[in-house]
Amino acid sequence: MTDSRALAVWAQVAAHAAAHGQRPSVADVCAVAVSSAQLSGSWVVAARGTDPDFVMCVTDPVSEQLAELQLTLGEGPCHDVLASARPVLAGDLGDAESARRWPAFTPAACQLGAGAVFALPLIVGAIRAGVLGLYRGAPGPLSGRQFGDLLILADAATVMLLGSEHAGTENGDGAALDGQAPDLALHRAEIDQATGMLTVQLGVPVAEAFARLRAYAYSQDRRLADVAGDIVARRIRLGRDPGQDGGP
Amino acid sequence: MDTELLSDTFVELADTMVADFDVIDFLHLLTDRSVLLLAAGAAGVVLADPRGELRVAAASSEEAGLLELFQLQNDQGPCLECFRTGRAVSATDLAGPAPRWPRFAEAAARSGFRSVEALPMRLRDQVIGALNLFGAGPGGFDAADLRIGQALADVATIGLLQERNVRRRETVAEQLQGALNSRVVIEQAKGKLAERLSIDMDRAFKMLRDYARNSNQHLTDVARDFVDGATADFPPPARRQPHR
Repeated sequence: MTDSRALAVWAQVAAHAAAHGQRPSVADVCAVAVSSAQLSGSWVVAARGTDPDFVMCVTDPVSEQLAELQLTLGEGPCHDVLASARPVLAGDLGDAESARRWPAFTPAACQLGAGAVFALPLIVGAIRAGVLGLYRGAPGPLSGRQFGDLLILADAATVMLLGSEHAGTENGDGAALDGQAPDLALHRAEIDQATGMLTVQLGVPVAEAFARLRAYAYSQDRRLADVAGDIVARRIRLGRDPGQDGGP
Repeated sequence: MDTELLSDTFVELADTMVADFDVIDFLHLLTDRSVLLLAAGAAGVVLADPRGELRVAAASSEEAGLLELFQLQNDQGPCLECFRTGRAVSATDLAGPAPRWPRFAEAAARSGFRSVEALPMRLRDQVIGALNLFGAGPGGFDAADLRIGQALADVATIGLLQERNVRRRETVAEQLQGALNSRVVIEQAKGKLAERLSIDMDRAFKMLRDYARNSNQHLTDVARDFVDGATADFPPPARRQPHR
C-alpha cells in the first residue's frame, strides 16, 4: 500500500523539477515538502558522522538562517536528529521543552519568525546522509498524513544524497531520477541485510555498499528488493572489482 | 502458566522509566515472554509506519519465513485487519477450507503455523502496533491466554508511551521512527555478520543478541558499532568496557 503513495509523492517532485526544466534534486524535494505540508520553508543539511556538516540547499532566506544558526551554535533539532537517528518534531518553539532543549537556538529561531521546526533524518540504519529541516511561521503539530508524506520525501532525499556521493553510481540513481521514480521501497529487511553483506563482499563502508546495491539493481533493470533477495539467498555476489559485478 | 514469570514480566514491562531504556530491547522482551507464557510458537511486534506501512520491530525468532509473514501482512492478514479495525483478530485454522487470507495462510503453512492472533497495541483511538502470536496447531489460543496476551500488549504500550515522560503527542511518533531505524541497523548487522561467517540470518541475529546480553549492552548499540566498524571481526575486539 505504500508504493502507490510513494509514487504519488514522487510524481510531485518530478513535476516540480520538470516545471523548471531540470532533473529532480534535493531542492525539488524541499520545495514539495513545503507545499505538501503547508510549511514556510525547508533546508537540507549534509552529515559527517553524527554532526551536521554543511547546508546543501534552502528554499528561502529564513530557512538559510535557521540552518546556518544551528551549525554556528552547535545545537538544534538537526544535531539531535543525527545523534538520536530519529525525527525531532518541535511543533511549538514557544514551549518550555524547546527552550530547555536548545537554549541558544530556540530564542534565535523565534526571532527569525519560526513558530515550529521539524527535522527528519536522512538516515538508513547506520547510514547517516543528512537532515531534512522544515519550519512554519505559526506553531502547531503536523498531521499524521503530512508526517507520512514528509517521511516519504525524506526517503527520496536520502536516496539522492547517497547516490550522488559515491563514484561509479552516476548511472544508477542519477539516471533513474531522470523523470522516472527511484525505487523508494527502502523498507524491506532483505535490502538492509544485503547492504550489510555487501560491506564484506566489496570491502566498503555501509553507505557505499547501499549505493552500490542500488546502482547494480538499476544497471540490471531490476527491482531493488528482488536483487537484495538474490544476494541474501546467495544467488548473486558482487565482486570487489566493479567490472565483475553480477556473476552468480 | 508460570505465574512467577508472568508477574515478573508485568513488572519489567512497566519499568520503562530507567535512564537507558531501549525500545527494541523492550519489544524483544515482550515477544520472548509472550512465547514462554502463552505457549506460542512465535511472536512478533509490528508497528504502524506513518508512510502507510506495517513494519516488524521485534520478533521472537528471526527465521526468514517468520519475517516474511509480517511483511506479507501489508497486503493481507490478521495484522492488517487488526490495524484497520482496532480489534483483536483470530485465525484459528489457517489450513481450513476457503481461507480468508490465502497468500498469508500459504506462507504460514510453509513456516509451520496453523493459527495466528493479532492483538492491538492501542493508545486511545490510535493503534500504534500489534502483537502477533503464532501457533503450530489448529484451534488457536484459549481465551484466558488471550486475555493475558492483550494485557501484556496493553502494559507494553503504556510503558512504551511513558518513556521520557511523554507529554507531547509528537514524542510517540519520534520514538516509533527511532525504533524502526534501529531495526534497520540490526538487519544491516545481521547481513554483515552472516556474510563474514557464512551463516544464516537467524544464526547471525542470535550471535548479536547473545553478545549484547553477555556484555550488558543494547542490541542496537552492538549492531551499530559492528556496522560502523572498519573490521568485520565478531565478537569485536575488547576495546572498551561495556557501560552500565
